[in-house]
Amino acid sequence: MNLLNKLKIAGSIALIFGAGFATAAETGSALKNDKMRFEPYADAKVTGTFGRGESLQIIKKQGAWLQVKTKKSTGWVRLLSVKRGASAASTGSNIATLANGRAGTGQVVSTTGIRGLNEQELKAAKFNETEVKTLESYTQTASQGQQFASAGSLKAISFTTIKSPQTNSAGAAK
Amino acid sequence: MIKLNLAKNTLLISLLMSVSAHTFAFDFQGALKDAAKEAVKKQIDPSGNNTNNTSDTEKPASDAKITDLSKAEPPIFNWQNPSIDEEILLGREITGNLLGAAPLVKDAALQNYVNSVGRWVASQSDRADLPWHFGVIESDDLNAFAAPGGFVLITKGLYKKMTNEAQLAGVLGHEIGHIVKKHQLKVLQKQQLLNMGSNFLSDKYAKDNKLVSNAIGSGAEISARSLDKTAEYEADRLGITFATRAGYEPYGLVDVLQTLSQTSVNDGSVALLFKTHPHPDERLARLGDAIGNKLDNVKNGQTLEKRFYKLRN
Repeated sequence: MNLLNKLKIAGSIALIFGAGFATAAETGSALKNDKMRFEPYADAKVTGTFGRGESLQIIKKQGAWLQVKTKKSTGWVRLLSVKRGASAASTGSNIATLANGRAGTGQVVSTTGIRGLNEQELKAAKFNETEVKTLESYTQTASQGQQFASAGSLKAISFTTIKSPQTNSAGAAK
Repeated sequence: MIKLNLAKNTLLISLLMSVSAHTFAFDFQGALKDAAKEAVKKQIDPSGNNTNNTSDTEKPASDAKITDLSKAEPPIFNWQNPSIDEEILLGREITGNLLGAAPLVKDAALQNYVNSVGRWVASQSDRADLPWHFGVIESDDLNAFAAPGGFVLITKGLYKKMTNEAQLAGVLGHEIGHIVKKHQLKVLQKQQLLNMGSNFLSDKYAKDNKLVSNAIGSGAEISARSLDKTAEYEADRLGITFATRAGYEPYGLVDVLQTLSQTSVNDGSVALLFKTHPHPDERLARLGDAIGNKLDNVKNGQTLEKRFYKLRN
């Protein structure tokens, strides 16, 4: 193997690494204005802020927190403040449409044999007693559900119903 | 704060999306109404009679009424205050129609699995006593549906987007939330009472029918559209509430909303979902506002990706 080839191989390895890196550092965008914090805790020191729609890099996730990097600073933010993935909904839309075998109208044009569910189809649908009976045949009792939960080490906890923020802020003791 | 609200309002609300959107589109487009009429017909028809048993513990008054009527004349579907049996009858009709459009995936292990998860999550709700039914239907669309009385269907397309049980629990929890809060039932009642009202209006005996005045009063008051969005946000909060109570990692529904938010609006598989639901970005932001620090002390929630049932194709 000559030097040139070796260099080529080294080059492609570097390329592969580069590509891997690019996907590892996930991009995202801010769903709202928020503060970044030094640690993933609500009372940690503020390291910076970002505005709604601002694009950012997601470095890592820990529980309900994401470590993100903006142009100006780095810090931790609650994951619900960030939309993951490329910012614009337009990304690769045409490819997605093609791959899905659908025309822009939402009509099925592929050969998957499975129809989409549009309003017309739902409207025209005929009642299917056999399918309902089949559905009902899978029904489980509460105790079966409990057994299934135990098998997965799921433990029920008491947790207050999450109310709408308006309701909360009225009597919030924040 | 004002700025934030403004920004929210400027979000393109027409880019609607998400998990159970369809049911509402379905409702409003009149298909649900047809199903309702069908259900009424069936109940009035003596050959198709079935469920007037008084299992309704919530509304003894309406039960008594129906029982009395069934002795003397054909029973009337009590739109004003439907019994649980009536609610189930209605939901069954709607579900049967939906299954007519997209049948169940023929995979008993899958259906059993989804029923196990759903049943456990539903047990954390205020209506644990309903006979809950869950199913995965043959469709590449990303969507899920709830019908009154405990019927929940999700598409195979949406199921395939999930990678763990906590996500499934969150999605089913959202649909369970619609049923617990009777979102669809209420829309239907309003529609139906309004229809009956307009028919009765030309009737000189209309004044004697309490139903009529009630129907017209309630029908004129509320915008179905705003009820729709509010209901979706409420179902999101309930979905997370129920999944959290069930011992799951609380952010499963959020994961799925994140996935949906990355789906192009031009993708046909989300056409109906986006049309009938607020955009996932908006739903995520709302959830963020509602949750705040409320989940900070929830520890040891399970995701159970190993147990998550993988579809073969």
